[in-house]
Amino acid sequence: MKRDLDKVRNIGISAHIDSGKTTLTERILYYTQRIHAIHEVRGKDGVGATMDSMELEKERGITIQSAATYCNWKGHDINIIDTPGHVDFTVEVERALRVLDGAILILCSVGGVQSQSITVDRQMTRYNVPRIAFINKCDRTGANPYRVTQQLRDKLNLNAIMLQIPIGLENDMEGVVDLVTMKAIYFDGDQGDKLRYEEIPDQLKDEAEEKREELLDAVSMFSDELMEAMLEEQEIPEEMIHAAIRKGTLSLELAPVMIGSAYKNKGVQPLLDAVNAYLPCPLDVENIALDLDNDEAEVKVSNDPNDDLVALAFKLEDGRYGQLTYIRTYQGVIRKGDTIINTRTGKKLKVGRLVRLHSDEMEEIEEAGSGDIVALFGVDCASGDTFCAPSLNWSMSSMHVPAPVISLAISPVDNKAQGNMSKALNRFTKEDPTFKTFVDHETNETIISGMGELHLEVYIERMKREYGAEVEIGAPQVAYRETITKRADFNYTHKKQTGGSGQFGRVGGYMEPLEEGEYEFVDEIVGGVIPREYIPSCDKGFQASMKKGTLIGAPITGVKLVINDGSFHAVDSSDMAFQQAAKGAFREGYAKANPVIMEPIMKVAVEGPSEFQGAVMGSLNQRRGMIVGTFEEGNYTVVEAEMPLSEMFGYSTTLRSLTQGKAEFTMEFSSYKQVPKSVAEELIKAFQAEKSEG
Amino acid sequence: MGYEPLVNQNPLRVLNLGRGSKQLGLVMARAGLGKTALLVQIALDSILRGNRVIHVSIGESIDKTRAWYDDILQFILQDHSVSRPHELIDMVARHRMIMTFKEDAFSRPRLEERLNDLILQDIFRPNCLVVDGFDFESADRAVVEDIKEFLESMSLQAWFSATRHRNDDRVSPAGVPAPCHEVDDLFDTVILLKPEKDATIELEIIRNNGVSVDAGTGLKLDPSTMMIKEG
Repeated sequence: MKRDLDKVRNIGISAHIDSGKTTLTERILYYTQRIHAIHEVRGKDGVGATMDSMELEKERGITIQSAATYCNWKGHDINIIDTPGHVDFTVEVERALRVLDGAILILCSVGGVQSQSITVDRQMTRYNVPRIAFINKCDRTGANPYRVTQQLRDKLNLNAIMLQIPIGLENDMEGVVDLVTMKAIYFDGDQGDKLRYEEIPDQLKDEAEEKREELLDAVSMFSDELMEAMLEEQEIPEEMIHAAIRKGTLSLELAPVMIGSAYKNKGVQPLLDAVNAYLPCPLDVENIALDLDNDEAEVKVSNDPNDDLVALAFKLEDGRYGQLTYIRTYQGVIRKGDTIINTRTGKKLKVGRLVRLHSDEMEEIEEAGSGDIVALFGVDCASGDTFCAPSLNWSMSSMHVPAPVISLAISPVDNKAQGNMSKALNRFTKEDPTFKTFVDHETNETIISGMGELHLEVYIERMKREYGAEVEIGAPQVAYRETITKRADFNYTHKKQTGGSGQFGRVGGYMEPLEEGEYEFVDEIVGGVIPREYIPSCDKGFQASMKKGTLIGAPITGVKLVINDGSFHAVDSSDMAFQQAAKGAFREGYAKANPVIMEPIMKVAVEGPSEFQGAVMGSLNQRRGMIVGTFEEGNYTVVEAEMPLSEMFGYSTTLRSLTQGKAEFTMEFSSYKQVPKSVAEELIKAFQAEKSEG
Repeated sequence: MGYEPLVNQNPLRVLNLGRGSKQLGLVMARAGLGKTALLVQIALDSILRGNRVIHVSIGESIDKTRAWYDDILQFILQDHSVSRPHELIDMVARHRMIMTFKEDAFSRPRLEERLNDLILQDIFRPNCLVVDGFDFESADRAVVEDIKEFLESMSLQAWFSATRHRNDDRVSPAGVPAPCHEVDDLFDTVILLKPEKDATIELEIIRNNGVSVDAGTGLKLDPSTMMIKEG
């Protein structure tokens, strides 16, 4: 099968929760004839939208996992990655963005640019993803696509240009005026599948002319031809405008704005046309791999199907038939029966079943070309792994994975749950790099950690539903850390004489705060006062000490350790003895280095009606928050604050009751900061009490 | 705290500006000459002396406003070594609050309501207010008078910025250009920023604490930090 890469689109649909992402995807699949009936997200028919494949998602009406699906529109192959909208799942979003070439940013015509849209848009900018904005829900009361377009400019700094204007809004929305062709488009039939093109209604003619001028002005920046044609006041061909819009969109300097209402079946087909016309094909996007055989030198992937295979596993799912691995190919062709290599583990594997996905259903295929998104069956790997032909040893650049900020102790209710729980945890950690789990050897508890309360809650739910593992949950724990604030010297002798050969080692030096990085070990020993072979033992001893601080038993970070003195004994010194000496030296220095406790600080944005701003600020202030700033527009306001994570438990409930459910907040990790004295004292007291009990 | 050199090199210190608690100041310049930077310097000067500042930004985002502070602090930290830079940055963040408004959302009642929210709940008690982006062209005298009266009642020192236009020659008797030529008497201090040929900015004081100043009283500033140009 020869594929024309020009006609491939890998796109994401990304947006604020509840702005209608799933509904839009559903409509796209319907119009491209991948599905034959439309179900609603919270459908009464009990079937639910096709993209939300997990039961939990169906129940909550939100999309957690980004399922990939394929469709074809007017000769173009479109792979759609449905991305989650809640900030707790941003790793999922970011991972999806990695494999996308372009995206549709959906906005609610009433809610406009909300804080989540800002987060998602920032991520898209980071990954250089060109996007088309789709202002959805124009049928709702209060719809105002013009205001939302202005917000795209103000809040997201996008050069947002409307390609359409609405014919009526709210209940009266009938269709859109296409400003490129200057035609009115109506969507007839029960499901809006019959497009009717008419002359622009009289009352909209002036506005359409004016907006078309704006459009042409903006896109003429990207085409000299178009600029000339405008100056000479010639008739401007449609293709010229399309080409200029495409150029502007690909350079990320223009964001075309489309409007409609997916729920009312309006504006979806023109949006698909825009995806074909303006979003990049795999050839338009430069992707970089790292050559592992050549000191991780950067290499550009070629997109050429005749080259050797390079593919990235960006998502794992536990399907009914075993592990399903979603991959994106960057060059070469993957065929059933091929032998490929996982470059992280170096393991060879054989391609078994290869499928193209449509949410829950799948279609067996023989091969997939460069730039495609498909899935493999029964391949053992972790998400983020790269697969190559045996001749290559490349890795798609590693993804930035933030450290977890919150943890929770879980314990299975019975023996059956025990086994299922470990199966589930094993699966989740493979799927999601921000979800971590370990067993605390002191308490024998299983600890799970992640990026937020909801993040962990969803996994606990999944454990119960998908794996039948019921667990009891402890109180959420914030991931505190300890660090030092000043330089301190140490000089510690470890000596033990208990018959037979004893233990002896002396370690001297100093520790000081490290502005950047977690741990640094510097060996300044001269004259062999500590023999070479025992230097790594000191390093080991220090590193072991960093695992648990003496204040509250939290891991220690940001310490530079320098050894410059010591002594040894020809018989009694050993690896063990120097490790012990280093541990003693660390204890000694640490106590003098003015250690402090650090806590995760979150960047929180609360948005809602202005009347509640005072109450919102009060509630943040009470929770030890630092209000960074406020933004007001009309009757809508945003409060931005830096909040200690430990104070944010249950905040959604507080906020709901404070604002009659009209405000909402998002939260993302910002940095670690020292806890105030009073809080530190309490934490230390609690730790001491726990220690003496245990 | 070791911030003395910063305090001393701040133009306001040298000019002995910005001391009175109820003082109302005005910074004028054409677009792009550093009005916002000077307002940020005014705010930083106040913060380094232990005060709390509210930065009102009309028509700008919180992130952009904060970026002004971060950039200027970075410049300052490059030129002046401070023993614990993080503490300085943290201190500034704790003593500053940003209030941004969409152009048409800013009004005296709105500002009053917001300040009361902060003060009555003891969240933030400002000593100084800087207001960037206030539209003098469409505000009549009564509006400015109303705001002045309110700020005085709160015992707040406040600084406004205003943009001059190249082709508008109107000037008040005291020498204050449009668009503030009809309200300039409401301000205790008026500063003009002018570009110089040697890529510095000249800071000209028209009126200082209610006393008009002779022409030619000025200082040269480094355009990136709005600090006094050395040497």
